[in-house]
Amino acid sequence: MVLKAFRFLLVHFRFRESLVEMDRLGVGSIPIVFFANIFAGLDMALQFSVVMAPYGATNMLGRVVATSIIRDLGPVLASLVMSARVTAGITSELGMMATTQQIEALMVMGVDPVDRLIAPKLLAGMLMLPILSVVGDLLGVLAGLVVAQFGANVPPPQFWSGVRTALTMANLVNGILKPFIFGFILVSIGCYYGIRTTGGAQGVGRATTKAVVLAAIWILIANFLISKFLIDIWGWKL
Amino acid sequence: MIRLEKVTLAYGESIILDSIDLVIPTGKTMVILGESGSGKTTILKCVLGTLRPASGRVLANDQEIGRLNEEELLRFRQRMGMVFQEGALFDSLTVGENVGFWLWEHTDFSDEKVEERVRTLLKFVGLETSIDQKPSDLSGGMRRRVAIARAMAAEDPVFMLYDEPTTGLDPFTSKSICDLMRRVQREFQSTNIVVTHDLTDAYRVGDLFTFIKDARVIQTGTRKEIENSSDPFIRTFLSLDL
Repeated sequence: MVLKAFRFLLVHFRFRESLVEMDRLGVGSIPIVFFANIFAGLDMALQFSVVMAPYGATNMLGRVVATSIIRDLGPVLASLVMSARVTAGITSELGMMATTQQIEALMVMGVDPVDRLIAPKLLAGMLMLPILSVVGDLLGVLAGLVVAQFGANVPPPQFWSGVRTALTMANLVNGILKPFIFGFILVSIGCYYGIRTTGGAQGVGRATTKAVVLAAIWILIANFLISKFLIDIWGWKL
Repeated sequence: MIRLEKVTLAYGESIILDSIDLVIPTGKTMVILGESGSGKTTILKCVLGTLRPASGRVLANDQEIGRLNEEELLRFRQRMGMVFQEGALFDSLTVGENVGFWLWEHTDFSDEKVEERVRTLLKFVGLETSIDQKPSDLSGGMRRRVAIARAMAAEDPVFMLYDEPTTGLDPFTSKSICDLMRRVQREFQSTNIVVTHDLTDAYRVGDLFTFIKDARVIQTGTRKEIENSSDPFIRTFLSLDL
């Protein structure tokens, strides 16, 4: 199904449907993703400042907060929040379509459901999650700056200098590759369970729960595997 | 013409269709009657190619459906209209978008031309004022009418398949849907299969009738032939329904 979706993206790209999905999946998720990242940034700066203060290391706060958010927390948090919204939405939408014969109707009308329904969603997930994640990272770091300045007395220039040192190629690749892959995971799991739904409203509920749980688990597993892979490539550099 | 030759289908141990032979001549309406779960809808799915029989052949105008690859099957289905039990309208689209869906997908028509065709089809089914409504705003009967209009959107639907088109409708609406199905057949000279368990509606639309019981065809014939049948199941079915 996924390979077929990629083939359709290459040979029969649906621009309008893809834009609609980008709006629904990406733009619609902006508030919740940004909200989650801001509070994660606030909390992370707070916790690190408590741990680092006794060692007089709060001058490193900017670097530590930015590194944590860009490499790990930002992409994972954005994806988990989006899996609750996007995976659940996709599974229930496709599940409802499957149980009310709308997918069969598509096939009867000579339209491949993978082409019409899945490929645009897959593209939207893989494009929008990195964008949301990058902007979310920025907001998380800004939130960290607030705590650093008012809670840990770290001057903003010192915090920013630390943030700049965290903007390495290794960190940036981490911060973009991860949400790209997570976007693929959360959409493809949602589509897979959605399109195979049977058993009416109860079946839709079951499929949705299963898809959201599995998407979250696979995001966490993939996060570790990608981290390991990139550390093997880039070494232990921050 | 649609022809099923010794079509057999099973899910595990359970046999859904057992060596089904059926011939639906061009331009005729075959009504498939039987109890719920007897395999009636499965026959439609085999004709659509969404289910492939374990053995036997399904032919539509001498084209064997089981031999078509996925792309050929999609092309083949473009000349087929299917009306699902509850209409299966796309609930995210308006009535007009549902009816125009096939045209947007398979033709290069301008939006104006599609809208013109959609209005003609909706007028045909008596729903021209509902073009901007969502399926959720329609009654059951209206949804079936829109489904019929959508099924006719292909320029020349050669085959029309109806899966319990009047189930759950009041007698007046059922009759109007049956009348509409007759008009569709006259307009397109299509070959039709109607699955139902309602004998009154079957008589309204059918030229030929087939009774299915326990996954097997027990009799096929005209109204007169089935009314004179000596088969105990058919006799009971006829006596219960009338």
